[in-house]
Amino acid sequence: MNHFILRFKNVSVEFGQQPAIQDLTAQISCNTMTAVVGPNGAGKSTLLRSILGWHPLKNGEIRIGDSHAHHALPRIAYLPQRTDIDWDFPITVRSVVEQGRFPSLGPFRRFRAEDNNFVENAISEMGLQDIIKRQISTLSGGQQQKVFLARALAQGADIFLLDEPFAGLDIKATEDLVHTLQSWQNRGRTILSVVHNIELVKQFFSFTLLLRTNLIGYGETANVLTETNLQSAYGSLSYSGAET
Amino acid sequence: MSELSSFLFDPFQLEFMQKGLLAALFLSLSGGLLGSLLILRRLALMGNALAHSLLPGVALAYLFFPDNPISLFFGALLAALLTSLSSALVTRLTRIKEDSAFAALFIVFFGTGVVLSSKVGTLVDLFHFLFGNILSVNSSDLWLTAGTSTVTLSIILLFYRNILLETFDPIFYRATGGKGSIIHFSILGLTALNLVAALQTMGIVLSLGLFILPAVTALLWTNRLSILLIIAVFTAMISSISGIIFSYHASLPSGASIVIALGFCFLLSALISPQHGMITRFLRTIREGKNIFHTPN
Repeated sequence: MNHFILRFKNVSVEFGQQPAIQDLTAQISCNTMTAVVGPNGAGKSTLLRSILGWHPLKNGEIRIGDSHAHHALPRIAYLPQRTDIDWDFPITVRSVVEQGRFPSLGPFRRFRAEDNNFVENAISEMGLQDIIKRQISTLSGGQQQKVFLARALAQGADIFLLDEPFAGLDIKATEDLVHTLQSWQNRGRTILSVVHNIELVKQFFSFTLLLRTNLIGYGETANVLTETNLQSAYGSLSYSGAET
Repeated sequence: MSELSSFLFDPFQLEFMQKGLLAALFLSLSGGLLGSLLILRRLALMGNALAHSLLPGVALAYLFFPDNPISLFFGALLAALLTSLSSALVTRLTRIKEDSAFAALFIVFFGTGVVLSSKVGTLVDLFHFLFGNILSVNSSDLWLTAGTSTVTLSIILLFYRNILLETFDPIFYRATGGKGSIIHFSILGLTALNLVAALQTMGIVLSLGLFILPAVTALLWTNRLSILLIIAVFTAMISSISGIIFSYHASLPSGASIVIALGFCFLLSALISPQHGMITRFLRTIREGKNIFHTPN
């Protein structure tokens, strides 16, 4: 039986008077790929940010392994949506990946051989060797995504929170990213990713957490993404709001 | 050769010109660094607003302590802090965004400053506040400028990684436990401090030129932040020296001459920069146009 790495116990989050997540209880196992699915405003991104401690919990608790979430930040890598980045920033691919070491180095410690190894391994694992000197705006969408995944790897994290990583990617880049995430899972990493494309989830994610502020279902994808559950999540008419 | 060396070095035989040059070089160092951060954080216009809001502080200090440069420094600093704090309050407590809050408050502060200046001094004084005068830099000004520049350089070098991370990707910085607001307000604070230090040399209106122009020039030449900072400082220093020499020989205002030298560097770079310049872009567009024309069906 797998160990549970992420535990949500009666978690509720509110924005003002508006509930964003209501009474969520779930336990996510190590070494799994879990999709967070639900309509807009269901609390998917809020859930990821609550793990990081950005939103105070109205009720309940979130634990990472045996620790409170904020004690386990070095274990977590968070990838926000790609639109948040200034792509014209004067920075090369290698410099972005090196940033992954900054949190553990702090402002004063020197970059050592060990840190260099983390960076080199992340670059080679993501296949970025040939583009390390390029400025980030000159890359394709898929390559840009890989650079930020490499930075997450360089952090040395083992829990990856991804917010809509497939948004804006073409079919080839989507396939590449899926293979990358699968290889991460095979190396013992845990992935929790917000995904809009239901077919993608059905094909590649073994676990799904279906939200509509409250938990509609959590477990193996085939058992969660049933017609009934999808209708509960996306509305009584159909779940056409979700990409398929 | 001796004519050239006399053209270049004669101005600096005079003590007040030496002080002016040193003040401009110190400001170039911190202005180049800070300006680069301001443009990358899209705060260039906010810096401009902050510069204008110094005027009432300067005018009030001039009213109460007319012959004390340190009081001008602290008067301006107080006005800058008041603008920053009020805009932060307006941003937090209302729906107004930070840039709009700055814009609204700076114009009120600037208007108040013009009224106060017209009451406490002459038009010459007002012009001095607005456009500076490098010839009036005295030893106290020079020490204040050197101190401000050293503090700015030290903070940027010591916290380079934090500043780089927060400027490039504030969400990542926050996700790894960083406090973005500390970086943001430190940069605004340093900007206020440097604007105040630049008051005697460049004046309120022109001081931001020494921050922003070197940075936008440097951005046209490199894709690396560390190199950008070096080019920005170098551009600011070269422009300051050439602007001061030019102003001496042509009997022109020094601050404006420095800004014109900086403007020349910027326009030249915008034209000829091999990667990001207008000529390159123009040629690339024509070439790509031709390629499209020749693409087989």
